Order: sequence, then structure tokens, then C-alpha cells
Amino acid sequence: MKRTFESILFWGLVALLWEYGVTLAGVRSYLMPSLSKVLAAGWQERELLLSECWVTLLEVLAGFALAVAGGVLLGVAIHFSAVARRTLYPFITALQSMPKIALAPLMIVWFGYGFASKLASTFLFAFFPLVVATLGGLSGIAANLDEHFRALGASRWDTLLRLQLPSALPSFVDGVKIAMPLAVIGAIVGEFIGAEQGLGHLMTLATANAQTDLMFAAILTITVLASLLYWAVEAMSRAVWWRGKAV
Amino acid sequence: MAIRVSSVVKRFPGKQSVNALEDVSLAIREREFVSILGPSGCGKSTLLRIVAGLVPHSEGVVQVANRDVSGPAPEIGVVFQTSNMLPWLTVEQNMLLGAKLRKLPLSTVAPKVRELTRTLGLSGFENSHPHQLSGGMRQRASIGQILALDPQILLMDEPFGALDALTRDLLNVELLRIWQEHMKTVLLVTHSIQEAVFLSDRVLVMSGRPGRVLHDIAIDLPRPRRPENIKGNPRYGEYIAQISQIMGVY
Repeated sequence: MKRTFESILFWGLVALLWEYGVTLAGVRSYLMPSLSKVLAAGWQERELLLSECWVTLLEVLAGFALAVAGGVLLGVAIHFSAVARRTLYPFITALQSMPKIALAPLMIVWFGYGFASKLASTFLFAFFPLVVATLGGLSGIAANLDEHFRALGASRWDTLLRLQLPSALPSFVDGVKIAMPLAVIGAIVGEFIGAEQGLGHLMTLATANAQTDLMFAAILTITVLASLLYWAVEAMSRAVWWRGKAV
Repeated sequence: MAIRVSSVVKRFPGKQSVNALEDVSLAIREREFVSILGPSGCGKSTLLRIVAGLVPHSEGVVQVANRDVSGPAPEIGVVFQTSNMLPWLTVEQNMLLGAKLRKLPLSTVAPKVRELTRTLGLSGFENSHPHQLSGGMRQRASIGQILALDPQILLMDEPFGALDALTRDLLNVELLRIWQEHMKTVLLVTHSIQEAVFLSDRVLVMSGRPGRVLHDIAIDLPRPRRPENIKGNPRYGEYIAQISQIMGVY
């Protein structure tokens, strides 16, 4: 109860500061519109915002799912195969050190202005932390449990399913928490570079038309979307409760 | 012979000039209870792992149930020094895990697990998770997981080493009771002379590195052994004194 009150008070103060701060400081509204103007613009364009938000959400979810699948597969492959460790791992590390924002235009060239290029851009932004987290989880398995499974003659499949993957889950969940906001960034960057739909596209349009209030409304929408996605990931990660429960 | 080890040498790769095990030979009959004592680093745990098929030996012959050891054998159950519970499974699921990994029929193992839960004092904790248990209870559950497999041969590497003296004594008595009932072959690695004498038919004493079996002492105490009828027995004290003198513990 006290905590709820505290956060309501905090966010209320932020809203008040925004609303009256810009007027009191004399900031012109095409630079920084007041909160009420932003909310009014957002309400007026609510259908547009929601439909663009839906497009972005689908891009984020699809790209993120692809990144999870690809990240886990690559992590497992690199952990278990010496060949993959020597070949794939340096390759994706090099890929990671490239600024991915520089690759986004290439994605447009390769995959066009539609959904596919946003999928590619989202994947590029999100998948590397998932590879690293999967690898870290798999290599952090307690040596005594590994030996125990060997002494019991466990098959490779049983060892993977019953020991290695559950042991890797806490670390993997950390990777998911890092990758989720990156996936949102990937989708928005893709939409900035070239798109016909999506919140990122709407932002570039609003900028071009000097509709700063609509631009802020789009920023608020994407912030809410990203926060909800992160919150969903956080809620799911509580299913992995055995983090740090060493026995 | 349940276990036969002949002229086994173990070298670890690297620059260690002294072998871990040097010409180790021993033979353990079926249903015999044998303990290995020795100073830290004498290779007794390595010897146990070689018999368990977890570590390859460099020279010599290792046989379990009259077959050369080339990997973990289904006749063997190994209890380690630390408990081996998976934190995401309940105590009961953990105790069934060994049987699942060995593809044993759950219809025969599940009743054993229920019985072991009772005899090992874990009743009421079947659905708890390992982190909710004390260290001693976790180790009991780990032992239960292996006993549920009903292995012909039980290899134990300081299974009670991390426990307090009271729990250790209780588990010693329980181990003897289970051994008496199911008559398994047991090879126990331990630091405790008292424990070795109380439990074993024979005690093997190893030298420091490179590990060799220096003494093979038959423990001629009546069975079934209970603390009250053994610990007052003068021969129990004599065995402990004899072994202590050999090992230079005084």
C-alpha cells in the first residue's frame, strides 16, 4: 500500500513537472509540448497509434522468437561442438562487434520495406545476448552433478534435458531480459531506415511534418509497449525460481 | 569376485612426476564391506572413481562382476561426498531420478523410494525442494536415490564427511542395517578410523602419494553390529589403536 502510494506520488510529480515545467520555462511547444498536448494528440490519433503499435509489436515478437530459437541453437551447438566453437563462435563475435545500426540499411536492401527486413533487424539486435547467456548457462553446470549423471549412465539426451538445460535456464533468463528491450530497438531502427508502417515510421513522419506532440505520443506508446514486454518477461522469469539455490 | 583391481597405476597428464596410484591391487568378495583409509591426496577417491568407471586407469586390470571396467557399469551405485540433488526437483522426484536415467521400471522403484523415504527419516519432505532441507537430509536423500537402484555394488566416497558427528553415527547405523538386509558389496572411502572399524569386514590402509595399499586388516567383530554392543568391545578399541598407530595419528 505504502509502495503503491510512493510510485503514484513519484509519477504524479514527473507528470506535473512536465506539464508546468515547459510552460514556466518558456519552452516553445514545437520543441517540447506539454504533457496535456501530447496526451490530446495521442487521443486524437489513437486509432493510428494503436494500429502502428500493433505492427511494431508483431515485428518485435516475431524477431524475438527467431532470436531465442537461433540463440539457443547456436549456444547449444557452440557448447557441444568443438568445430562450431572454432568456426561459428568467432564469426558471430565479429558480427556482434559490428554496429548493427549500420547493418539495418543493408537489411532494407536485402529484404525490402516490409515485415521481413524488420524481422532481420530485430533478430540482429537481440540474438547475441541469447547466445552468450545460453553458453554461460551450459558451461556453469556443477561438476559434481555432471559426474553424478555420468555415474548413473545417463544418455546424452537425458543429460541435456534433465541436467544441462534446466541448469542453464537462470542464465538464459538473464539473456532474455537483456534481449527483449534490444528487440524493440531493432524493430524501431528498422522502421526508421525504411518502412511503410510501424511506430518508428510514424515518428519519422511526425518529425517531417513538425508534429512534435504526435512524435511524443509515439515515443510514449513505444515506451509503454517496451515496458509491458519487459514486465511480461520478468513475470515469466519467476518460473525459474531455482537461481542460486545451490544444493 | 565383486571387485578386482590388479597392479593398477594411475598417471595424470601434466608435469606431476609422482604417480597418483602405484601398483594398487585389491580384491573384494561379494557382500563384503571394505573401507579404504589413507592420508589426504593418497588417491583413494581416484581409486574409487576408477572402479566406478568414471576415470580411466593408466596400467593394470580393473574388473567389476568379473568384467573389465570400460565405463560406468549398471551393477554399481556411487554415493559422493556432496549431495547430488537437482534443485528444481522435489525430494521424491530426485530420489526417482537415478532409476529414470537408468531406465529401470518405475513400478518396482517407486515402492522402494517410499520405503527409503521412511527409513532415511525423510517422511513428510517428499514434496519439499532440496534447498528447504538441511545438509544431512539432502545427503540422506542422495543416498536414498542410489539405494533405490538396488545396485549389487555400492561405492561410497566419504559419504558422511560433510555431516556432523551425531548425524554421521545415525547414518552409519542405518547404512549397516540396509547392508545387512540387502547384503550388497560396499567399498567405502573414509577419513574416519572409527567409522571404518565399526562398519567394515576389512580395512585397507593406503600410503601417501603415490598411493599404495600398505595394510589389509580384517575386522573380526560380531555382527549385527550396534553402537551399544561394539563401542564397548575392547577389540574395537584395539583395532582403532592399531590403525591409528599405522597412520601415525596419535
